[in-house]
Amino acid sequence: MAQNLLNALTLGSLYLLFALGMSLAWGTIGILNFAHGSIFMFAAFTGHLLVQQVALPLPVVLLIGTAVGAALSVLAQVLAFEPIQRRARDHRRAELQILVGGIGIATIPLAIAQHATKSVPFGFTGSTFQVEVYRLGPVQLTNVQLVILGAAAVLTGVLAWWLRSARTGLALRSIGVDAEVATMMGVNRRGLAMATMAVAGALAGIAGVLLTYYLGSIAAESGDSFLIKAFAAIVLGGIGSIGGAVAGAMILALAETVVLTQTSGMWVDAVSFGLIFAVLVLRPRGLFGRKEVRRT
Amino acid sequence: MIAWYEANVVLIQSMFISLLLALSIQVPFRAGVFSLAGIGSYGVGAYTAAIVTLQLGWPPFAAIGAGMLLAAVIAYLLALVLARLSGLYLGMATIAYSLILSVVVINGGELTGGAQGLFGAVSDLQTGHVVAVAVAAVALLALSERGRLGRWIDTVREDPELAVSVGVPVAAIRQLSFVVGGLLGACAGAMNTLLRTTVTPEEVGFHLVVLALTMIIVGGSRSWAGALIGAVVFTWLPTVLAFVGEWQTLVYGVVVAVAAIFVPTGILGLAQDFVRRLRRPALQGGRS
Repeated sequence: MAQNLLNALTLGSLYLLFALGMSLAWGTIGILNFAHGSIFMFAAFTGHLLVQQVALPLPVVLLIGTAVGAALSVLAQVLAFEPIQRRARDHRRAELQILVGGIGIATIPLAIAQHATKSVPFGFTGSTFQVEVYRLGPVQLTNVQLVILGAAAVLTGVLAWWLRSARTGLALRSIGVDAEVATMMGVNRRGLAMATMAVAGALAGIAGVLLTYYLGSIAAESGDSFLIKAFAAIVLGGIGSIGGAVAGAMILALAETVVLTQTSGMWVDAVSFGLIFAVLVLRPRGLFGRKEVRRT
Repeated sequence: MIAWYEANVVLIQSMFISLLLALSIQVPFRAGVFSLAGIGSYGVGAYTAAIVTLQLGWPPFAAIGAGMLLAAVIAYLLALVLARLSGLYLGMATIAYSLILSVVVINGGELTGGAQGLFGAVSDLQTGHVVAVAVAAVALLALSERGRLGRWIDTVREDPELAVSVGVPVAAIRQLSFVVGGLLGACAGAMNTLLRTTVTPEEVGFHLVVLALTMIIVGGSRSWAGALIGAVVFTWLPTVLAFVGEWQTLVYGVVVAVAAIFVPTGILGLAQDFVRRLRRPALQGGRS
């Protein structure tokens, strides 16, 4: 029981790291990045390629993942999302184009990784990092889980503080409320959008590397299922809300753990889809969403 | 010609099925409803047709009809439940519905064949039937783009508030677009199952959402012609791209991304712009 709870907490932290950036970009600059899952996978994949050549410790692999994630995310922003938002006639049209553009972009890293790995799961076998297991009474805890829980807690805290208290965080939130007025008030919309995408990509990269350490290996297609799950967590918590992302990720991970351990069969995937559907029908703004959130 | 037809009959069949699938998404889009429930309807049609053929031995058109009826009922209920949502939220709710279906059929036991799916649903459905159904569907949809109904649908998409104020039945048109999308999607799914005699859970997964969406975006979402262009392009693109071999998915992704960024109105929109530019100088004596 306690073990399941701890595992759910770890899974929830991974969902959270992945979902935070997606939620932030969607809630502020209006970009729902469907390439987020691909970026997440490709960051881990780059780590895997480097670790095969040089035996690297965990912090270095994490840094590489962060950098690759941020770079890919900014690249997608510069090449695709920014031109779409600049050209689109209206908000709704832009949303749809960003969605489809993201799906198109997502297949590019996926195709490269599938080609290079021949669709065989990859891991960090060359890394100098050794998994250690600690026993605390009935519970087993690995050092990877500690890193995951710590990273999720610290990064979420920093992001929440930055959005609430820092000047740039305030500026970013003002874009989410009214982009035009924010620009008139001297907010550098373009720069902030880049920074947001960089942060989102970096978080995805961290999540990808940590998931690979946690599971031992991941498949090139792992990004897709994470994308849908993160979407469920975001919608459940409320778009753009940090507290909402935390609650959504943890509730989703707990619900999935319960379904996995209590039922036979393969109903786990239905949890996230069912949550998306139920939340959108019953409470479209999510648990913590603002009331005045744009819903078109 | 006959030799070419015989060599490519599978591709020709899948082209018409893709056309119906693309139309099942394009019809709601035209009414401004971002619903991807047509993909779920494809699954409903595919599995219903397989089940009634295997267990009850129904003839092909009865099996297709059963799938379409069930999908239409579900689509109508969805339209009622999801009436409050619009935009991306509606899109994601309908994607969730389609993906739930794929989990349900994996866990459906003997009725749906679990992860292996169903096989052996043999029928005497022929390519000619598929083509006839697709042509009939396109003809009916082309009619709906003309006259009062066509203007109503355009108004509902462009300005729902205005449409309500001038007495257009907005809610009814939105519900109708769900039901028609459900019928078309189920028809495509059922015919595909009966032609291939098998259906598996993987067939009705997320990649089908991606395929349908990309056909519409690359082809054009305003008219049935856009769906036709999309279906033709994405059926024959793999054969054209055979020379890139393993990099096919990569090229495919680039095509989709470039289309979404630079050609938001699709190939149909480009063609219409081109025709307009050709005509304008003739009408206005060269002045623009």
